[in-house]
Amino acid sequence: MTETTRPMLEIKNLVKVYGTGEKKKVAVDGINLSIPKGAFFGLLGPNGAGKSTTIHCITGIAQPTTGQILIDGVDVVSEYKQARTKVGLSPQEFNVDIFSTPAQLMDFMGGYYGIPGEVRATRIEELLTQFDLQEHRDVKFQKLSGGLKRRAMLGRALVHTPDLLILDEPTAGVDVEQRRALWSYLKKLNQDGKTIILTSHYLEEIEELCNDIAVINHGQIIWNGTKAEFMADGKSVEEKYLELLKK
Amino acid sequence: MSTNWIGLYTMLRREVKRTLRVVVQTLIAPTVSAALYIFIFGTVIGSKIADFAGVPYIRFVFPGVLMLSIINASFGSASSALYFMRFTRGIEEILITPFSYFEMLIGLVGSAVARALMVSFLILFVGLGFGAVSLMHPLAFVFYIAAISAIFAMLGIIVALWAESFEQLQVLNTFFITPMTYLGGIFYSITMLPPLAASITRFNPFFYFANGVRSSMIGYTEADPVLGIVIISGLVIGLGILVTQLFKRGWKIRS
Repeated sequence: MTETTRPMLEIKNLVKVYGTGEKKKVAVDGINLSIPKGAFFGLLGPNGAGKSTTIHCITGIAQPTTGQILIDGVDVVSEYKQARTKVGLSPQEFNVDIFSTPAQLMDFMGGYYGIPGEVRATRIEELLTQFDLQEHRDVKFQKLSGGLKRRAMLGRALVHTPDLLILDEPTAGVDVEQRRALWSYLKKLNQDGKTIILTSHYLEEIEELCNDIAVINHGQIIWNGTKAEFMADGKSVEEKYLELLKK
Repeated sequence: MSTNWIGLYTMLRREVKRTLRVVVQTLIAPTVSAALYIFIFGTVIGSKIADFAGVPYIRFVFPGVLMLSIINASFGSASSALYFMRFTRGIEEILITPFSYFEMLIGLVGSAVARALMVSFLILFVGLGFGAVSLMHPLAFVFYIAAISAIFAMLGIIVALWAESFEQLQVLNTFFITPMTYLGGIFYSITMLPPLAASITRFNPFFYFANGVRSSMIGYTEADPVLGIVIISGLVIGLGILVTQLFKRGWKIRS
């Protein structure tokens, strides 16, 4: 497989089990996925279906029980350091030091990724401008509105210019105007070649942005294909999604 | 992949910022406490005591006071920083970035040692004002300060991983570290103890910490220095291996 034809993300028989004995819970049950480079991929599923656990296994927040995950051909367990440089994550929950400012969050995260100071400073200025955060750059995270917090999280996820961007509910709490602005930015990022995985409960967001869709339920993939195939019978993403869950 | 030096420097820089953000709690409070110890035990009581181990009592007691502050600073820094990261899930920032498990250890321990060194400098400065500071073996002094800080930083990490509440964070400090420190001879010589108590004290590792710092400062030792170095080095290596393995297993930080 050449570098260009190699998938950006390959998940093979991923199983994630939490707890043991009576407390045992299978969160992800044998998932297989292959996401090509340049895809805008929508990962759908109800709460507790296994979306976030899958994302946690990809990014290193959770350890897979069995199976393999390759990011651009790099194993996330055996070559974890290299794999982590390739991914940026904007998580569902605000996993930040609430006393830090947006500029500091991006600075620290960029530093953790090993980006030299000058490059980091330039990149942070671009991101603060891009996400309309210049005015709030030195405001503590805890004082920001929900929308500003989301934008700060996105900036943090992009500071090291990852090949694969994972957005877990990136527009929750963001107003309509900002959501539209964010969509435009994400579309541009994708057009420039960035592979994006998006989970969202706003199904119109998935319909607007994604080219490929997978639906996960009870830890298993119940549908996987292109958006065109998903909507082939003239149904909206929402209608088709609800139909799949009923089955 | 090569060592993530910029990442390690960022961890250090972040902890220094955190320390300075709450400077009263992290730097000023321990310095004031140490100044009170030095004033009361060294100046008030010490002036009534004849020379001790060939030096004024204030010089005998100062290394113990310094060590006590270093232990509290490094343990407090590592335990509170990591527990807070677990509490806010900020630890995920470290988990998703390219740090090896050993680099995580170095970054967190280095950050705690940095705070302990800042506290040390302030207390040494106060000690100079009281005429309590002498430094017979500077290299040995640096070794003991760095090694003791590292030991308690790693203990702080273990407690921060284990604790499920802010209250539990204080358990080891209250019921183990503080009593063992006070019973390790920081304010007295074990020659003042009954023979049985003196023998028991020799099984307390804190005795070797205090004795090491004191011997490097005033040249007086009550234990075999080689044994002390072996115990301290052994603890650094043993705890280092343990914490690295805990990070590798992801105990309490990786689901």
